[in-house]
Amino acid sequence: MSDELINLQPVDKAADDALDQRVLRALESAPRIDIPDDFAARIARKLPARRPVSLTPTHYGQNAVYLGMVLALVMLIAMTIYNGRHAAFGLAESLLLTVFIALTVWLSVRRHSVG
Amino acid sequence: MDIDLTFEQLVRDHQAMVFRTLLRLTGSREHIDDLAQDVFLRLYRALPSFRGEALITTYLYRIAVNVAQDEWKRRRRDDRSHVSLSDETSAWEDRLAHPDRNAEERLEEREFQQAVEEQLQLLSKIERTVLILYHQEERSYEQISYTLGLPIGTVRTHLHRGRKKLREAIQQHQTKERRTACQTN
Repeated sequence: MSDELINLQPVDKAADDALDQRVLRALESAPRIDIPDDFAARIARKLPARRPVSLTPTHYGQNAVYLGMVLALVMLIAMTIYNGRHAAFGLAESLLLTVFIALTVWLSVRRHSVG
Repeated sequence: MDIDLTFEQLVRDHQAMVFRTLLRLTGSREHIDDLAQDVFLRLYRALPSFRGEALITTYLYRIAVNVAQDEWKRRRRDDRSHVSLSDETSAWEDRLAHPDRNAEERLEEREFQQAVEEQLQLLSKIERTVLILYHQEERSYEQISYTLGLPIGTVRTHLHRGRKKLREAIQQHQTKERRTACQTN
C-alpha cells in the first residue's frame, strides 16, 4: 500500500502541475471581443461640452487680504489709543498684530512669486 | 474640437483593453457596449482632476472595475441570469470548419476554457478581479494595488487564494464530468 502511494505521488504531482498550467493558459488567453467600428467616434459625439475656462484672472482673495489688513490696522490703532482700560486688550492687540504681520508676509510672498 | 479628436484617439487606443476587462469581469456580452461607453465617459469627466500620479491605463482599469461593480449591483437588483461568454454561432462554425482530430482537441480546449470562465464567475468579486488583472491583463502587483485601493500583500493573498479555489473548482468539475461520462457509457 505504501509502495503504491510512493509511486502514485509523482504522477499526481505531474497531473496537478499540468492542470495548473492549463488553468493559467486559460486565464491568460483573452476572450474574443467585438468592438463596433464606430465606437470611438460615437463616444466622441457623446462627450459633454466642457465649461469654458475664464482667462481673465479674478482677485477676490487678494482684495479680501487688503481689506483684512486695513481692518486689522484700524483696530490696532484704536486699541493703542484705548490701551490700559482692560487687561484683555493686550492679548487682543498682540493677536491683531500677528494677523497683520502674517497677511503682509503672505501678500508680499505671493506678489513676488506672481510677479 | 481638438480635445474631442484627441479623446477619440485615446478611446481607440484603449477600447480593446476596456472591452476585454469588462467582458471577463461581468461574465456577459450583454450591455458590454454601454458599459464600455460608461467607462470612457467617466474617464472624460475625471480628466480635469487627473493629476498624472498613475498611467492613464491604470486609471482606466480603476474606472472599469468601478463600472463592473455597479453592473454587479444592478444585476443583483434585477436578479438576472448570466449569459455565457462564448456565443453559440461561432462555436458551431469552428466545430464544422475543423472536423479532424485537431478539431477534437480544440473542442476539448474550448470546453476547458468555458469551464474556467464559468468557475471564474463563481469566485468572489475581488478574487476574480485580481486574477483577471494579473493573468489576462498582465498588470503588476503595484498597478493592481492602485487600481483596487488595496495593499500589495492583500493583492497577493487574493491572487493566491483565487488561483487555488479556481484550480479546485476545475478539478471537481472534471471529476463530475468524468463520472457523468462513465454513467452514460
